[in-house]
Amino acid sequence: MVEKGRISAFQMGRMIYLAITPTAILTTPAITFKFAKQDMWISPIWAFCGLITLYAVFRLHAIYPGRNIVQACEAVIGRLPGKLLGALFLLYYLYLIGIILREYGEFVVGSFLFTTPLIVVSGSMVLVCAIAVRGGVEIVGRFAELLLPAFVTLFLFIIIPIIPDLRVPNMFPIMANGITPSLAGAFVLQTWFSELISASFLLPLVADQKKAKTSVLIALLMIVLTLVVANLATLMLLGDITGGYTYPFLILARYINLAEFFTHLEAIFMAIWVLGAFVKICVFFYVTVLGAAQWMNLSDYRPIVFPIGLLVTLSSMWVAPDLQKLTFSISTSVTFSAMTMFVIVPMLLLCLAWVQKRWRGTAAKG
Amino acid sequence: MDATKRKAVFALFFLSVHALCLTGCWDRTEVNDLAIITAAGLDLTEDQQLELSVKIYLTSSSSTPQMGGFSSPNSGGAGLSVVRSATGLTVADAASKLQQLISRKVFWGQDEVFIFGERLSRQGFVEPIEFLMRHPGPRERSNVFVSKGMAKDVLQLAPPIERSIADSLRKMAKLQTGLNITMKELAQMMGGKAKAAVLPMVEIKPREASQDAFAFINGSAVLKNGKMVGRMNKVATRGLMWLRDEIEYGTVTVSPENAGGNVSFQLRRSHTKLVPHIRGDDWSIEVRVETWDDIVENATDLDLSVPKHIEQLRTALEADIRQRTEMALAQAQKEWNADVFQFADAFYRKYPKEWNRNKDRWDAIFPKVKVRVEARSVISRPGLIGKSPLIPNQR
Repeated sequence: MVEKGRISAFQMGRMIYLAITPTAILTTPAITFKFAKQDMWISPIWAFCGLITLYAVFRLHAIYPGRNIVQACEAVIGRLPGKLLGALFLLYYLYLIGIILREYGEFVVGSFLFTTPLIVVSGSMVLVCAIAVRGGVEIVGRFAELLLPAFVTLFLFIIIPIIPDLRVPNMFPIMANGITPSLAGAFVLQTWFSELISASFLLPLVADQKKAKTSVLIALLMIVLTLVVANLATLMLLGDITGGYTYPFLILARYINLAEFFTHLEAIFMAIWVLGAFVKICVFFYVTVLGAAQWMNLSDYRPIVFPIGLLVTLSSMWVAPDLQKLTFSISTSVTFSAMTMFVIVPMLLLCLAWVQKRWRGTAAKG
Repeated sequence: MDATKRKAVFALFFLSVHALCLTGCWDRTEVNDLAIITAAGLDLTEDQQLELSVKIYLTSSSSTPQMGGFSSPNSGGAGLSVVRSATGLTVADAASKLQQLISRKVFWGQDEVFIFGERLSRQGFVEPIEFLMRHPGPRERSNVFVSKGMAKDVLQLAPPIERSIADSLRKMAKLQTGLNITMKELAQMMGGKAKAAVLPMVEIKPREASQDAFAFINGSAVLKNGKMVGRMNKVATRGLMWLRDEIEYGTVTVSPENAGGNVSFQLRRSHTKLVPHIRGDDWSIEVRVETWDDIVENATDLDLSVPKHIEQLRTALEADIRQRTEMALAQAQKEWNADVFQFADAFYRKYPKEWNRNKDRWDAIFPKVKVRVEARSVISRPGLIGKSPLIPNQR
């Protein structure tokens, strides 16, 4: 066993929540609005991919207890194809962290630190995350436990003061064209929901297995709730021009004005963003490192943390030449590839595993 | 053990060395390195170029306003601001030229007021708004005005009451005696379904014997497709505000029938609801205004402690509200065909399918929309006196 640390089911839920929400609040409202218009707040409710992914993760774990999806690959489809598929998984993870890190860097540089080079912003984040990841799953889990209350408090710090400026009529008419627009808007969100596959890597490390399922489902529910609240607030403030802004939720923080005194609060949003992105990158980073170590049959994952950190930084530079292309690919190709890797492949694996089990069962009997 | 200890000491030393970099004077931006813009104005010059003028708040008290090549010093008491302007093809171009004239770095973050000159407004100001929304500096909450004449002239005023012209305009807008429109709201109106917008109009009261020139909000500018098409006077603007549900404060004076005088009310609360109807080709809208008012002055021969007289006052008040709103409606529908009341959104919310079928024809539909104003008022309190002791023969 490469990882000796254990986390509680509760910590796992918090890690999953923070591994998905932060970037979803930032980038998705504008893209969702383009398809769903005033139904954009309904879109996060269509979390199909999340449920399918979680189903696959838990069933696979029931068939192969103590193994994550990369390890399960080998057991299901044989050693060589399993290794190949596992490598594909890990490379895709690397690509995805590249995107997350780039989103983080682009936002910080584009809205706050205009003169800082992108590599400094993302490089320092990778360094901090690498140190946390070297500490093992327990450290990452505790960070999630520690930072979640801060994340939620700061989130409410933006939502509550903006309430006087919200215009409820902006959300009407609800579902004027049926559910199709909100489903179309939910499409891009499926990338985020399929990221729940990270649960597969954390699940074998959970000490109290019985509570794990409840904890992750609560996390999913909270993700949906947070996104609904964030999208609703954005919609009620900005209405028809939501789609025009690159980061609509940032405008919320900028627009707050309580008593002529409580204003210019984008620093809070920056804090949310850095906290959230830190945990998110830590979780993804950890999963990649752990998966890579297991894939190469290493006895310890610590030696490869920094080398993979370097790859992550490079990947963040390679994923897209500029922000426009990054946003464009997130709303198009990334959605498809994420759904393929994180939803379709695990489901196929599950089907195969199930058939094998059946077949072996009947073979043993006969 | 010893080796790990040495390692720890080394790591600690390594980290503390880095802390030295963080104390950071090497890229500091102190307040007196910034040219803090408190208000900005945009005009169109004779040769069709954009002129950007900014009011800069001087942070260090030692510097006194100086004679600039482009501006004149303040005459007022505050005297801690200067105005600079530069021209360019676009706002960004003008802004970069402006930087060449100022020794400090231009800082947009505290700019709370944007004024557009009337000439520029009539030409259209989609482009400047584009810049102000795209650039991360200017804030979505800043107030937007249209000035009668040059915006630059407004900036050069030094109001005696407030610290700067920006404060004075912003506070006037905030009192909501006139319109109070932020950049975000302007963008919403311009980009919304109605494609029409209104902005408060700033006018300069010229210098008179005993008082300096000052700026005040007078009426509103009506915009259609990003261009100013006309101007509403003060009274029509009040009607417009009733319809847009933006009325906050105000005193309404009416003269009830056969009462031989005027009664003034102070507005306490008001709420307007738009109820659209589509019947065949017939688009109509019902405006339900509800207000709560107090009596503040009574110069009629009616004794206002008698309930039936209050009824009479209510009728007069409701008629007055109807008349004001109808004035705004007539101008917007007949004169400019500009849906400044956002009726389009009301129709869309109730009849999304009909709206989508007809949205390209909105310009043809809007002037024909039948509007029925239904005012309901509650006169809550008579003030501190009931039957006036000063007017002896009140009924």
